[in-house]
Amino acid sequence: MSSWRQFKAILKKDIVMELRTKEMLTSMGLYALLVLVVYYITLSQAGADFEVRRIAAGLLWLVFIFTSLLGLNRSLVHEKDQGCLEALLISPTDRPVIFFGKAVGNLIFLLIVEALIVPLFFFIFLARPGAQAGGPVWMLALALILGSIGIAGVGTLLATMSVNTKGKDFILAVLFIPIMFPLLLAVVAGSAAVLQADPEYVRTFWQMMGLAAGYDVIMLLAAFGLYEFVLGA
Amino acid sequence: MTDAALTSNALEVRDLSRTFGARKALDGVDFDLPTGAFLSIFGPNGAGKSTLLKVLSTLTPPSKGSAKVLGLDVVEGAVELRERIGFISHNPLLYPDLSAEENLEFFAEIYCIDRPKERIRELLDAVELDHRRLDLVRTFSRGMLQRLSIARALLHDPALIYLDEPYSGLDPHAMDILDGLIERVREGRTFVMVSHDLSKGLELCSHALILSKGRIVLFQDKDLIDEDEFHQTYRSTVGLGVS
Amino acid sequence: MKQLRTAIVLVAIGGLLTTAAFLMAFFTAEVQQFGTVTLEQEVDTVFPVAPDQFQPPAGEGIAYVRPWFSQKIFYFHVPVAEASFLVLIISAVFAIRFLTSKRAEFDTKSRIAMETALVFVVLTMITGVLWTRASWGVWWEWEPRLTTYFIMMLMMIAYFVLRNSIEEEERRATYAAVFAVVAAINAPISFMITRVIPSNHPVVFQPGMASSNLLPFIIGQIGMLMIGYGIYTARMTEERLRERVEIAKEALEG
Repeated sequence: MSSWRQFKAILKKDIVMELRTKEMLTSMGLYALLVLVVYYITLSQAGADFEVRRIAAGLLWLVFIFTSLLGLNRSLVHEKDQGCLEALLISPTDRPVIFFGKAVGNLIFLLIVEALIVPLFFFIFLARPGAQAGGPVWMLALALILGSIGIAGVGTLLATMSVNTKGKDFILAVLFIPIMFPLLLAVVAGSAAVLQADPEYVRTFWQMMGLAAGYDVIMLLAAFGLYEFVLGA
Repeated sequence: MTDAALTSNALEVRDLSRTFGARKALDGVDFDLPTGAFLSIFGPNGAGKSTLLKVLSTLTPPSKGSAKVLGLDVVEGAVELRERIGFISHNPLLYPDLSAEENLEFFAEIYCIDRPKERIRELLDAVELDHRRLDLVRTFSRGMLQRLSIARALLHDPALIYLDEPYSGLDPHAMDILDGLIERVREGRTFVMVSHDLSKGLELCSHALILSKGRIVLFQDKDLIDEDEFHQTYRSTVGLGVS
Repeated sequence: MKQLRTAIVLVAIGGLLTTAAFLMAFFTAEVQQFGTVTLEQEVDTVFPVAPDQFQPPAGEGIAYVRPWFSQKIFYFHVPVAEASFLVLIISAVFAIRFLTSKRAEFDTKSRIAMETALVFVVLTMITGVLWTRASWGVWWEWEPRLTTYFIMMLMMIAYFVLRNSIEEEERRATYAAVFAVVAAINAPISFMITRVIPSNHPVVFQPGMASSNLLPFIIGQIGMLMIGYGIYTARMTEERLRERVEIAKEALEG
């Protein structure tokens, strides 16, 4: 039961720190807003009959993947800066507890940012008179959750490595995006199916969610198994 | 099986090596340290001091040989051993965005301490930070940070404390306070300190160890040390290490 | 030095075999009926177009209005692609052995296998791009398998970027090993996931591939693996020599 107590402590500490400084949420949220502005510029010349809905899923995940890089980096820099990670390693905390503590914290922050950005994105780009209706919201939410789990899990592993390198931000992006590729492809295809709601979209959606879930399981197991080595180095 | 409590040696290091490829960070280190002693480890940069500290604090496993700390093997008994060692470094190992009290509360949870509130109160009193307990650690001076970091290291009442260059970056006044604190908690505990500061290290220690290129150059009881000779040995190893 | 000789011999034989396979592809192999390739529109190419009997039945896509010449690259492209995959897996196996043993030699082996894999992935990309140009009339197509190799190439480059950004040897070795394992797990997943999404890439191994095609293919594959092993051995020899020089240097200094 001590592991549970330690897990809660790590999670609580991250949340308290975040609520106090709002460092991660403001930087991620603001960054996401800036990207939305860039999207407007991008789409401004596409013409009136261009259907944003067809690429909306991709645009949405693009915001999340880049904002998550920002958040992941911050989250691990906190541990690294004053050597706190060392203090955790020398304490009787199982390494997986540290992994799950950090990963779940990152997942929560990511989901909060998503919960803010998705409605905004929807109202800015998709809520047009006469626009066709998409699939149910819970489906999109499921895609977001499955995607975020993978991002938080793999991201925590890779960010723990990248904070110990020269040029952390850049290294994280270089490591993170190729590894995220299959998951992104699956969740973008899944979210696109929901947003477009073409006939038969439910089947495509579940197929893609199955792939995303499979990726999450495999990669989380791998990250879980490898984290101890990363911490030991 | 020897009972951990009965072993009179806090450290039993046997032919300890730590190698990576052709590089030998530690090469056949072998010594015993009795319980309750204060060991100061000296040596030039790259002599293997921090590697030795890492092995003794279960952060890296030895490549060859073994090390027993408080009667527990650093590999097999790592989990149990971690409950009984404390660590004070030149880094405060505290979260700047949490208050003094929150920091200690966090580590109290990590160490699963019973009745954490009382223990934290007691420690904050001891390091004279009670009046600042609700302030963010970010606002603390270097000396206050070091005091709080001592409180953190003492939370779980460890039997052995590692000190990694604890004096670096402290002003003379903060050094005095740190001296006083170490003196006060010294009773019944074993200390292992890595230091560049020769006079400070010699003043505190009961045993001295000089490392160079991963090997022990000198390991002596303080009472047997002739200071001039000791300084000379140290200078010659540092000279060697620099070339 | 014996190893270096082995490496040279391996590369030489491998080179001969792949060349032989390539020539056989032109002179002995039959033209293969590839899977249906659907393109949005027909594209003019400078190469001769496949004869009618190799075209798919009418109505099943505009498949082979493409030059039949272009498929000759298959005897080079596919062996190279498969070899790169194999070497990546080998690199990951060495990485796991490193993580469990912490012995520097496995790190070196893993790194050099990754280098070899990168060479092969780059060759795959080049031949793949040539293929798409000759066969589909475009230089680049975001086609699943090409995309997968693109991702693999990025992961391998990331591996070396990661290595270069860490000073401390043991940490560098550990992080690189962890990333190599993650990359090796990720590559087949990418491969599989891209296949689920409809693709243009021809599927070659249909049952009953003519022996005149199979033979050069197998020869090409063996040749490619020998070249791979040759490059690996040569680099390993170089690395060992470097290490010995380092040790000698240190001994002189100390």
